[in-house]
Amino acid sequence: MDVSLQISIGKLILKNPVTVASGTFGYGEEYAEYFDISELGAVTIKSLTLKPRLGNVPPRIVETPAGMLNAIGLQNVGIETYLKYKLPFLREKKCTIIANIYGTSIEEYVQLAEQLEKEGGADAIEMNLSCPNVHDAKSKFKCPLIAQSPEWVEKYTYAVRSITKLPLIVKLSPNVADITEPALSAEKGGADAVSIINTLLGMAIDVNTRKPKLRNVVGGLSGPAIRPVALKMVWDVSRTVKIPVIGMGGICSASDALEFLIAGARMIAVGSYLFRDPLVPMRIIQGLRDYCLTHNIDDINKLVGSVIVE
Amino acid sequence: MKKLHECLITLHNLVAPHHYRMVLQNKDLAIHSSPGQFVMLEVSTGYYPFLRRPMSIERIFSDGVSILYKVCGEGTKILSTLSVGEKINVQGPLGNSFPIPEGYPHYLIVAGGIGVAPFPALVEKILKVRGIPPEIILAGKDYNHLLCEKDFKQMGCKIHLVTEDGSAGQSGLATDVLETINTQGETIVYTCGPLPMIKNVHKICVQKGWLCYASLEAEMACGEGVCLGCVLPAKMEIENEMMARVCKEGPIFDTQVILWDKIGDR
Repeated sequence: MDVSLQISIGKLILKNPVTVASGTFGYGEEYAEYFDISELGAVTIKSLTLKPRLGNVPPRIVETPAGMLNAIGLQNVGIETYLKYKLPFLREKKCTIIANIYGTSIEEYVQLAEQLEKEGGADAIEMNLSCPNVHDAKSKFKCPLIAQSPEWVEKYTYAVRSITKLPLIVKLSPNVADITEPALSAEKGGADAVSIINTLLGMAIDVNTRKPKLRNVVGGLSGPAIRPVALKMVWDVSRTVKIPVIGMGGICSASDALEFLIAGARMIAVGSYLFRDPLVPMRIIQGLRDYCLTHNIDDINKLVGSVIVE
Repeated sequence: MKKLHECLITLHNLVAPHHYRMVLQNKDLAIHSSPGQFVMLEVSTGYYPFLRRPMSIERIFSDGVSILYKVCGEGTKILSTLSVGEKINVQGPLGNSFPIPEGYPHYLIVAGGIGVAPFPALVEKILKVRGIPPEIILAGKDYNHLLCEKDFKQMGCKIHLVTEDGSAGQSGLATDVLETINTQGETIVYTCGPLPMIKNVHKICVQKGWLCYASLEAEMACGEGVCLGCVLPAKMEIENEMMARVCKEGPIFDTQVILWDKIGDR
């Protein structure tokens, strides 16, 4: 039996439903030493901003039970350097590229998307409306994310949708009361897919110094610790919107990936676990194929949302 | 080059209270390793601890490498329970290595505590390529924290012992001894240890006009430069200021590129 792992996001056809979470794979160069990165359904690159960013003051990461907190603060090379020095490598490798973008205003998102499309810098765009680490936690009591306001999500999505034909993905935050609301707004704004979820806000303190372990005080929690939360949100969102859901949050194995697909994700992303095992995306692709063969499934799309709730 | 290796543990000894030496057998890993590089060890097969543990390569043999580590948290505690004959997944070698430029009649090493870890391999390399035994300042809290003394002696190094409590060698800090050393001709200093010590070694080297390379450490997730967790503010080549990745641009840095004023009291 031939197994098809092919899926589509908008008009973009991907050879399999496995990508990497933005910020865990750089621009592909490092892990290309470990495996053929063109085997991925897509490479999702580290968030791009208009100008290069230095990111937050270290310490930026701390290990936590079954996961880690990070407060990188969107350190990145900026779009110019990406287009000039990083993109050629990804193109030479024949990767499908999902370019994650971050702006501080609607105009910046629009500018980033326009430039990426014009210069062939992406095959799809993922709007990061949910980075938890770009606000100063000390000076502000509240750090609103665009993804926390359904109204803003729709506005931002619509603005970018209006200027690009590239498939558009909106990455949402779990730090909300009901994630289906911003998901519906993204769909209404014209998104082709939603990425569920970005990291959960968290904190850790060194009891000897009584100082937060992250210089930024708070950070985003990732890793298997958040997997059940992510899975539930993927299930919620996939029953609410008609567009595909890209599921992510603590995926470490093919079995974890299958959970997300069965819950309703069309595609999945591996994140923090790459740090532990750079080969995990390849193991997952193989594992998905093996599962389909064992369970007589000729098309992975038939698994999507197939959860049996009695 | 393959970077993930299943290594057989062929030796695992307590060398001082809370300090262990572990030999990891793997030819491929050994062939590609250089002094100053590090490996990431998978200490658990489960999700706790979640991340690998970065360790300096202590010595490079024909069929493996050794590491020297101090038990200071959950990861190293688990590591210390592994037995000879068990296997462990090792990622590496990672990062850059110590430069050993020509034309330096004096090689000086300043090691504080477990910071001695990358130096046995460096001394062997310097002896091999330059034929000059480096002079070593070996410092620690007390006599229990002076590691590798015998190894360095066998390699023909002149050693200055320093302890904070005076229980061995001179009483004081590594930098007290460094200040008193006067050399003739070009001198190159290699250092590793607590960050305040490295900072002071750097200052002394600037005063004396010596080139100084430090092996730095940081909380690290990936070891490959993708997570951007282990960065330090630095001034390198093209860019005025950048966040240099300890795992990729380092762990060995010319101490003049580090923006020391921007590094807090970690």
